[in-house]
Amino acid sequence: MNLNPFWSMSANTSRTQRTDGGEDQSGHGEPRASPARLPFGKKQLPPIPKNATPVTKPASTGAPAPSANGTHASYGPFYLEYSLLAEFTLVIRQKLPGIYVQPSYKSALMWFGVIFIRHGLYQDGVFKFTVYIPDNYPDGECPKLVFDVPVFHPLVDPVSGELDVRRAFTKWRRNHNHIWQVLMYARTVFYKINTTEPLNPEAAVLYEKDVQLFKSKVVDSVTLCNSHLFDQPKMEDPYAISFSPWNPAVHDEAKERMFTCKRRPDDHHKGSQVSGLSWVKPGSTQPFSKEDGPPPS
Amino acid sequence: MSWLSRLNPRGPGSRPGRSAAPSGPCTADPETCLMVFENHWRQLSWVLEQQEPSSSSDDLAAVRNHTDQMLCLLAEERPAESAEGGPAAGAPMGPILELVVTENILERLVQWHLRRGLDPDSQGALLKLFEMLIGQSQQPLLQHTAVLHPLLRLLGACADPDLGCPLALENSLVLLLNQICVSMARQPVVLEMLFRAAPAQQGSTNLLIFSLLVPFIHRDGAIGQQARDALLLVMATSASNEAVARYIAENSYFCPVLATGLSALYSSLPRKIEVRGDDWHALRREDWMSVSSLVLFMNSLEFCNAVVQVAHPLVRSQLLDYLHNGFLVPVMGPALHKSSVDEMIASTAYLDLFLRSVSETSLLKTFLRFILLHRHDNDTILDTLLTRISSNSRLCMVSLSLFRTLLSLNCEDVMLQLVLRYLLPCTHVMLSQRRAIRETDLYGKSADKFLSLIPECCRLNAASSAERDEDGAFWAKAASGPGVESPAPPRPSTPSRLAFFIRQQSGGGGPGGGAPSTPAGSEPPQSGASHPPCPDSPMHQQPANADGLDWDSGYLDYLKDSRRGIEVCSWACRDWSAPYDGENPSPSAAAPPPPASNPASNPASNPAMAMFPEHFSLQQGGGGTPPPGQRMAAVVAAARSEWSGSERDSGEWDVTIGKNNSISLTPRSKKRSLQREEVPRLVPSSSSSTSSSSSSSSSSSSATHSSSSHAASSPAPHDPASVGYQATCNGTAAQEDGCSDSRDRGLEVKKVKRDLGERRYPDENANRNGSLATCSSHGRAAPPPSVFHDGGMSDAESPRPNGIPCRGAVGAPASDGDASKPRRASSDPPEADRAPQSVESLIRELLEQAPGEPPLPGDAGGGGGGQGISIEAFTQELRELEERARERGRAAGRQEESAGDDLSSERRPPPQEEEQQPPSEPKPPPTGDPKADGPALGLGSPARPLNKPYTGPFMVVLFAKLENMLQNSLYVNILLTGIVAQLACYPQPLLRSFLLNTNMVFQPSVKSLIQVLGSVKNRIEAFAASHDDFPAMLKKAQQYLVARGKVDWADSPGAVPTLRRSDSLVKSRKPSLGELILRHTNSPTRARHAAQLALAHVRDGGQSLHSALFKGAGGASFIEKQAEALRVKNAVYCAVVFCEFLKELASLAQEHAVTLPFPHGHEAEE
Repeated sequence: MNLNPFWSMSANTSRTQRTDGGEDQSGHGEPRASPARLPFGKKQLPPIPKNATPVTKPASTGAPAPSANGTHASYGPFYLEYSLLAEFTLVIRQKLPGIYVQPSYKSALMWFGVIFIRHGLYQDGVFKFTVYIPDNYPDGECPKLVFDVPVFHPLVDPVSGELDVRRAFTKWRRNHNHIWQVLMYARTVFYKINTTEPLNPEAAVLYEKDVQLFKSKVVDSVTLCNSHLFDQPKMEDPYAISFSPWNPAVHDEAKERMFTCKRRPDDHHKGSQVSGLSWVKPGSTQPFSKEDGPPPS
Repeated sequence: MSWLSRLNPRGPGSRPGRSAAPSGPCTADPETCLMVFENHWRQLSWVLEQQEPSSSSDDLAAVRNHTDQMLCLLAEERPAESAEGGPAAGAPMGPILELVVTENILERLVQWHLRRGLDPDSQGALLKLFEMLIGQSQQPLLQHTAVLHPLLRLLGACADPDLGCPLALENSLVLLLNQICVSMARQPVVLEMLFRAAPAQQGSTNLLIFSLLVPFIHRDGAIGQQARDALLLVMATSASNEAVARYIAENSYFCPVLATGLSALYSSLPRKIEVRGDDWHALRREDWMSVSSLVLFMNSLEFCNAVVQVAHPLVRSQLLDYLHNGFLVPVMGPALHKSSVDEMIASTAYLDLFLRSVSETSLLKTFLRFILLHRHDNDTILDTLLTRISSNSRLCMVSLSLFRTLLSLNCEDVMLQLVLRYLLPCTHVMLSQRRAIRETDLYGKSADKFLSLIPECCRLNAASSAERDEDGAFWAKAASGPGVESPAPPRPSTPSRLAFFIRQQSGGGGPGGGAPSTPAGSEPPQSGASHPPCPDSPMHQQPANADGLDWDSGYLDYLKDSRRGIEVCSWACRDWSAPYDGENPSPSAAAPPPPASNPASNPASNPAMAMFPEHFSLQQGGGGTPPPGQRMAAVVAAARSEWSGSERDSGEWDVTIGKNNSISLTPRSKKRSLQREEVPRLVPSSSSSTSSSSSSSSSSSSATHSSSSHAASSPAPHDPASVGYQATCNGTAAQEDGCSDSRDRGLEVKKVKRDLGERRYPDENANRNGSLATCSSHGRAAPPPSVFHDGGMSDAESPRPNGIPCRGAVGAPASDGDASKPRRASSDPPEADRAPQSVESLIRELLEQAPGEPPLPGDAGGGGGGQGISIEAFTQELRELEERARERGRAAGRQEESAGDDLSSERRPPPQEEEQQPPSEPKPPPTGDPKADGPALGLGSPARPLNKPYTGPFMVVLFAKLENMLQNSLYVNILLTGIVAQLACYPQPLLRSFLLNTNMVFQPSVKSLIQVLGSVKNRIEAFAASHDDFPAMLKKAQQYLVARGKVDWADSPGAVPTLRRSDSLVKSRKPSLGELILRHTNSPTRARHAAQLALAHVRDGGQSLHSALFKGAGGASFIEKQAEALRVKNAVYCAVVFCEFLKELASLAQEHAVTLPFPHGHEAEE
């Protein structure tokens, strides 16, 4: 289920209310906004940033049946955004080795990623990919993961580059399945080759019958992928991941910052003058059980 | 730290003006200078040589003249060029200095003066000379014993008990000492020399400078400041000098004087904070800057803070000990337990102020340990403060404010005691749910649940605004402005969502915490020309909206605020000892939370408990553990004499006497020594001056009221003979007190009633159930007498035949409610009889009362006389009126509470609770101490089974208060919801899940936040259903709040931005809400101004609700209407706040899901 009905409904109700009310100055805004929206149907998030083609569609989260006048359901978009944000937060927390993702600028439902394979058959492979999250997330299918360059792999479609994710997530269950698991899975397939029901039968057969040839094809594929590393991103998006040769002028400083900069609350400096107060001895649940030195202030 | 910055400029380059301007003839030619100097010296020495000290003034004049010249020359002299050329420390002396040293000129000079007997004139002259010398000298002088010793000799004379230092010379003396300390700070070696310099010469104390300065620590004005600066320099210089530190700690009075001085200063603080602003709840700088006694105290506290910051650990720990045992425990503790509501309000506000002012961690720790662990009459201070939240008056607001301060510290110990230890065992959740504790609201379920609680009736409004931005989401809503009349501006292309991601990423480890709205360097490809520079903060583009209806915009703003709040909080908590996630600390390891009503059950578990004596008075002699007893006594005596001159009123120390039973009386009497001086001052305030010194303390609280005719007649509280009597009267005292606060403090009243019933006045029993209302009407009669006076008073008194004598015996602390009677009887009869008039006339009357005048008694909120004009005051008055109205009916029919039941149950759920509970409750032995009356909350009754899950008194009282939102005043609700929101910012899964996880299943006995909110929602909806004009009123309330928020916003631009919220309604949630209606009211102009403002509010229709009702009606119907208007007003405001609160909670739930934890501090610190 998704909220599309709701969105149209909400628009409708507001429209009716408007005609009822007679006075509608805000009507001025509406025609302007509507044309912009209409081409994409009722499926988009209300705020369309930058006239970009939205991939985003309305949330189908929390709000079950939208309430009568649907006010709180209008927070729906926040739920989708925040669900995805939360997923992204989980990804960060997982600290998946060799995997980096970044949501698209245009849509929270599209994430760019890159995966570094550090050993095994695909060693040195750097594979860029894109994750497409269904717009009825988290109640829909599992996300799709498509490699920019189709990697030679039994589970990767040689034409579209799509990884067969569904076999691992036959049914996407909210609360149980998370996007980081998809990413984790994408990493695993390169270390532990599975050839059953392949998307790329050639690769599967080769792996079974002629590992040497398979290996050399993999090496070719890795080389091919890496040769496209510095290509422009497939998707025109400011947040698309793009590689460029090392440029000390640009990268040294960025690297330095990555290593030194510690995260702080935005306006930490003017925050509370004391923080991190604790005199509780670890393991104790008594206040002031830690009697030695003062805590860091 | 202001102290150090203030000091620093004076350090190295002190007095550039004087020292940098070499003047006079000597600059030209050192040779000449030396010759001139020698010449002077020759003549001077001739005078000095004369054996018999002549008393001739000629001699003296000559000596002075020469000395002046010589010392000027000495001061101007530059050090001789050393071989190396640098004016290093080892630079050779200039010739004049050399002469001074070799001839020991200064020593001879001082000796001569001393021999001939130092008259104040010469003493002053010498002090000034030395000050000039040390302050201006171009070369280090103090390193030379030839300078140092005569200086010490002179100072010794100043310290001489016989000679002493005349008052007029104090300034010079302190200035000189300050100079010495400044040069000492520059040349730490001087400290060592001072310290070593022959104790023989200095008499008993090694560090003469130090002991001379100490008495000035708490002095007012510049002289005190100089002394404190100087002492601080000594502290800083000695921070690394173990010997000096040990001397200061062991041989000087420094720490005790500092601490007991605070006590003395505290006792001079106003006993009652008079504010007229209905929203006042905390002392801010503007408030206390105008109160000299408070300024004095704050200076000293700030000084303590600075000393703790810079001093040697030895000194620091001693000072902290003294502060705990010499100030907090003996003074703050009793002050917080005063029986009068006004005093409770004052002391709570003070404590809050102190906590906010202290910046040094270890000093803060001392305060917190006091609050969390110290037991005053078996209850921790924390417990006491907790119970105050349930009051309905300003006491509640002040207490909430204090708790907000406590929460803002993000201190693990505080949170542990307040909440976490009750949640630790995880008994509040179903067993199967425990693993869910760590879950976050991944899909917005909880947020949705919170938002779904926005009452239908309040959605109309939101819906209509949603209609304006018909896409419903609030993304761009604020940007387009909700104003109906303004055509929506072109929607900014707002990548707000993207901004979130950007932030998220940068949060995730990337640099740059800011949220760039457009990705750096790369323009979005398809972007048109028009995207505003700051798209992710739509509220910045809010068009000024005359309609003021922008209140409901900006869920996005709530999200941002929540994010910020959570980040700041989790950053601050990163060094906590455990994550509190339901596993660590392990639920089984956690000690079972003590039963709420019996906090004493856990005393042994707190080691500190044993360390700190309960009653300082018992050990005042040796109260501070380290110092020997007599010394402490001496110190106290010194402090006493030090303060005896200043004007203050007394009684701080004896607070508990009036309130408690006799047990605590005797030991405490010792402390009164500090107060004795006050007695004469107090006596006149009592009508009959039979008061002994001991009664002064009890009457003192009424001194401010100046109307207590009973005070003086009270027997000495610690007179053994009167103890029994007193004990009985204590009950009455408390009752009066409770009365004064009406049912806010009903808990006290109740208990007291019990006491009464069981003791002396059986006839009180008859009135037991009804007496609450009786009391309150009684106690509250006064504030706006002109309007509200009716027959209620005499009725109120009638059922309590013994009340008056008893009260008289008890004395002043009880007289809050009482005071109205003498007042009515004697002082202000005309006012009392005046008929109700219009609001204007009421205000006029109030204005005519100068603020300095005795504040109107019986004011529950502690707001004093001015309250009558404010909303909050109206609230209280109206409640009181209701009660009186009811009670009248009761008095007529001699019926019990049931008579007014429908009225009361409808209007005043809290009193209803209170009224109904007492009989059914197991009654704890009457302690006479009203504070511990947890049962009044309806929860945590003593009978509570130990194993029943219990989320702690804090949660219970907050939830109870929250559930009652509809009846709370706007300001209480704002504070209350702010505190809950603040709690909800904490990232600890235990707390977070308890508050924000709406899917969690709790044990049946545990009330969840969502349940509480649900019941509020129902009440609001029921209310709205019964009022046709609810939508209109809601709108008005919103307009008012927005307008007020704006004024407020503009009012104090310099305030802390963290307290600001973008959303104007939220903005009005900030603590200083509505400061425009004044704060402190020592100044009549301010009061007048405030009253006018209030009047304006009434006139402009913002308050038309009651202004309409105020006019015209009179008598009983008038009162009823008043009450109804108030009820409506509170409910409508509540609806507004409630909706915003739900949005806030929803946003918090959402943000928790996307917040990353911070690494431990030691990893993250730079």
